[in-house]
Amino acid sequence: MSLFTEPIGLSHFLVVGAVLFVCGVICMATKRNVLGVLMGIELVLNGANLNFVAFGSSVLRPAGTEGIGMDGQMIALFVIVLAAAEAAVALAIALSYYHAHATVDVDRGDELKG
Amino acid sequence: MDAINWHGCFFLLFAAVACGFAVAVVVAGNIVRMACCLVVSLAAVAGLFFLAGAEFLGAAQLMVYVGGTMVLLIFGVMLTARGPLVSMKTGGGQWVLALVIGVALFAVLLQAATSSSAWDGPRENNLVRHDPVQSEESVTQDAAGQLGLGLLGVREDKIRQENKVLRGGMSGYLLAFEIISVHLVVVLVGAAYLARARRRVQGSGVRTPSPESRTPIPE
Amino acid sequence: MDINSIIPLLLALAWLLPLGSFALIFLFGPRMGRAGRYSAYLATGAIVVSCVLSFAALGFWLTEHYPHAAAGHGGHVAQPISGEWYTLAEFGRLRLTIGYYIDSLTLAMFCMVTLVASCIHVYSFGYMHEELSDVTDPLAPLSNGQPLRRRGRYCRFFQYFSLFCFSMLGLVVAGNLAMVFVFWELVGICSYLLIGFYRERRSASNAGNKAFIVNRVGDFGMIVGLMAIWTGLGTFSFAEIFSQVRPIAAGHQLQTPEGLSYGLLVLAGLGIFCGCVGKSAQFPLHVWLPDAMEGPTPVSALIHAATMVAAGVYLVGRFFPVFTPEVLLVIAVVGCITLFLAATIAITATDIKRVLAYSTVSQLGFMMLALGLGGWLAGMLHLFTHACFKSLLFLCSGSVIHACGTNEMPEMGGLRRKMPITSITMLIGCLAIAGAGIPTLIGMSGFGLSGFHSKDYIMAQGLLFSTANPGFGPIFFYAALIGAGMTSFYMFRLWYMTFAGRPRDEHVHSHAHESPLSMTGPLMVLAVLAVVAAWNLPFTELGLKPLLEQARPVGTVEGVAGGMLLPNVAMPAEHLAHEYANSVKAEWSAFAVALLGFLLATAFYGLRKLDPADARRTFSPLYKLFVHKWWFDELYALLLIRPVLRISNWVEAIDKRVIDWLADNSARAVAAVARLDDWIDRIFVDNTVNLLARWTYSTGLWLRRLQTGNVRQYVMWLGAGLVGLFVLMNLYWNYATAGG
Repeated sequence: MSLFTEPIGLSHFLVVGAVLFVCGVICMATKRNVLGVLMGIELVLNGANLNFVAFGSSVLRPAGTEGIGMDGQMIALFVIVLAAAEAAVALAIALSYYHAHATVDVDRGDELKG
Repeated sequence: MDAINWHGCFFLLFAAVACGFAVAVVVAGNIVRMACCLVVSLAAVAGLFFLAGAEFLGAAQLMVYVGGTMVLLIFGVMLTARGPLVSMKTGGGQWVLALVIGVALFAVLLQAATSSSAWDGPRENNLVRHDPVQSEESVTQDAAGQLGLGLLGVREDKIRQENKVLRGGMSGYLLAFEIISVHLVVVLVGAAYLARARRRVQGSGVRTPSPESRTPIPE
Repeated sequence: MDINSIIPLLLALAWLLPLGSFALIFLFGPRMGRAGRYSAYLATGAIVVSCVLSFAALGFWLTEHYPHAAAGHGGHVAQPISGEWYTLAEFGRLRLTIGYYIDSLTLAMFCMVTLVASCIHVYSFGYMHEELSDVTDPLAPLSNGQPLRRRGRYCRFFQYFSLFCFSMLGLVVAGNLAMVFVFWELVGICSYLLIGFYRERRSASNAGNKAFIVNRVGDFGMIVGLMAIWTGLGTFSFAEIFSQVRPIAAGHQLQTPEGLSYGLLVLAGLGIFCGCVGKSAQFPLHVWLPDAMEGPTPVSALIHAATMVAAGVYLVGRFFPVFTPEVLLVIAVVGCITLFLAATIAITATDIKRVLAYSTVSQLGFMMLALGLGGWLAGMLHLFTHACFKSLLFLCSGSVIHACGTNEMPEMGGLRRKMPITSITMLIGCLAIAGAGIPTLIGMSGFGLSGFHSKDYIMAQGLLFSTANPGFGPIFFYAALIGAGMTSFYMFRLWYMTFAGRPRDEHVHSHAHESPLSMTGPLMVLAVLAVVAAWNLPFTELGLKPLLEQARPVGTVEGVAGGMLLPNVAMPAEHLAHEYANSVKAEWSAFAVALLGFLLATAFYGLRKLDPADARRTFSPLYKLFVHKWWFDELYALLLIRPVLRISNWVEAIDKRVIDWLADNSARAVAAVARLDDWIDRIFVDNTVNLLARWTYSTGLWLRRLQTGNVRQYVMWLGAGLVGLFVLMNLYWNYATAGG
């Protein structure tokens, strides 16, 4: 198996990130539970974060090529912090939504439909 | 048969766990189960961060996400899903639609991820150079130190950059750091406001919240 | 004070007083007492003061020009006073002025008009009394058959009367032809207004229209005459015209002045006479006057007997110096035809006012005949005497009508005892018009009522003319003679039918009563006038005849041998007519025919020895001719009115069929174009806009469905959009160029 012997490259990480991202999107698109949607968002953010980290990593690319360096980790760090904050706000919204609709089904929240 | 590339093996392990549990999150019907799967998946991503040489970030991922965010999520689950855990089924058509879009998106992303040969990975010869940034000139060897300096406005990795174009491109993140810290305060105040219990709710068809639901959001 | 300045002043005052009265009544008439009853006092006061002023002016005139016995026949000719009060406008040589030309004729006309008008004003108090309250007019039925009820028009009547007096006096005093024409038309409009006084009656409004339209024909000729005068002489002033046509250098004989050919002079004379024919109701324009009797009787008396219709004769007399022998002959012929024609019609008429109307036409014919034969004094004298006795006769007939409520003589009869004053005054009038008197008997000159003298003069002139022109002259004389006989006949027929005999209609008779003093008083005054008008003041030479003789146009004293076009015509000098041999013949023959007429009338209607029906049967064709007024109305209807109507029908048809059709169709075409435009607008423009709007709307509706409110769907769209973006980037994004 070549995967076990070949060195891991940037593309591998990107593929994992893509999987996480797509899973997050599908999760958002299919879950009717507000919290499920929130989890999808976390997945998407993690997929993106993985990409940032991979792009900033120096071990994953050929010698002599420059990545984005420290910026990747920096942005990823910000993303984690913001994701935590976002989770707090989103949960507050979810609670509020629950108070208003007595359910966490996002399909019920269609008062603003056209 | 070459020597087993442990780096690659661990990557495969973590990647498989992360992807597998991410898919599990998608397919799980129970919200509690989803939360558990998500915890595992995020922890695997933290492992991947370690593999990518971002140890501090991996630790932060574990602590903030797995430790904090997930606790928050669980709290949310418990606060909202009272009574029997009703599973809200999604229609088959929507599943198909979501899958089509997801697969298409995945295909596009896969194509983008694999189309650049520069991203395929380091060659055999420089595999030994485990950490190219390690040098005697570096002020700090660990990533956490570099991140801290970066947040304080000093880009340690850029100081030694010969390429003038690349060197001038970035500066520190002090301003962003400050903005984000203020932003966090605002967000948390806003979250507390949003989640506060209301005595009276206007409108029909809405259940009046019971006193026990006025639970403050934990931080 | 010089009479040359004081007489114009007095006459101007006398002339303008009725205008002031008219203006006041026009402005405040209905507010003058109840139903405007004091307007009558105002109008009457104005005309009476005018009358006094006129007589005062006459007095001033006589201080200067007292007629002497030796002054007769051209011995002493008073110079007329002429001048201008005011210049209206000047256009090059044309001067339009308000001027005066005052001689004894003017003064006599002023006195006569104001005196007769005063009498008739007073008479109108009684006659128009019922106009003070609301009037029910059974002769003007409404569409539902009910008689019309309207408000009284008492003050309106006196308003018109005042306007008429002003216009008539202005016509008399006028110093130039333009002014004459203006007042000529003014009296015409007054006549029109007063004929149509009972304008709700169809016959009255028709009669007013007829009078007005017929007068237009005459006025057209008058305008032609005016143009001829002005092109030839360049002036309208009487004094200047006369001095140019009859220059002193030529001994006041008629000459063709420079710039005016003889033909043009004849044309001018004929044109002026044409206007007179219309105004004085001469053949062939005589048809309007009998119809004009539709107006109230005082109007008939004042306007259509005494003054306005005499204005034509007056103008002929005033313009006498300009008429060439040819024109005079035409005047004579017209007058002769008129007097005969009208007299024959008067014989058969049964309407009392129509008899008098035709009598008026006939007498006007006498005047014209006299003037045409060169008898200036005869014509003018008859004008004055006729004004007196004809207004008397009309007022008497008005009194009778007022009492009986009908115009038809066959319904009257036996009114003598009921209305003694009226019957006596009317008898005097009849005697006057018939020319009653004692003709010259051995050594003693003839003496009689006013009509006797004037008619005598006319007959004498006619006889003189017939001896001067043996060929055709006798025709005029005999026609006049027959006319005089018929006059006597129809007047006494009228009197007998009205007053004598047994009542024919008990109802009418029982309701008849003598009129109030306001009506009989003027009758008596006029009766006196009718008797004495032609007399000289006792033991003096002062009278109408000498006074008029002063005004005789210079140069017309001597006869004229003949005109350029008709050299055979001899116009004899008038004074020759009064030679004993001539006048005695004329007097006796006139007396004889008048007596004959009187006897015939007595036999038919007074004593009833003869049956009029017999005569009617015997002269059936003649009777039909006369009773249908010689079919003049029918003739005019056939010759003029029907063709005009037919032409106007054609024109109307053209208007309706062609012009209206064009207008309609152009309108229709415009409407069609508009409709097409509308259609295009609706179909294309509106539909395009509507289509866009509908499309936008439906698109919006359709897009609305995208806004499902479903968060998950939005996420899906997000993903799809992302995929699409990636695909597009992969297809079209050139990495090589993008990177720089």
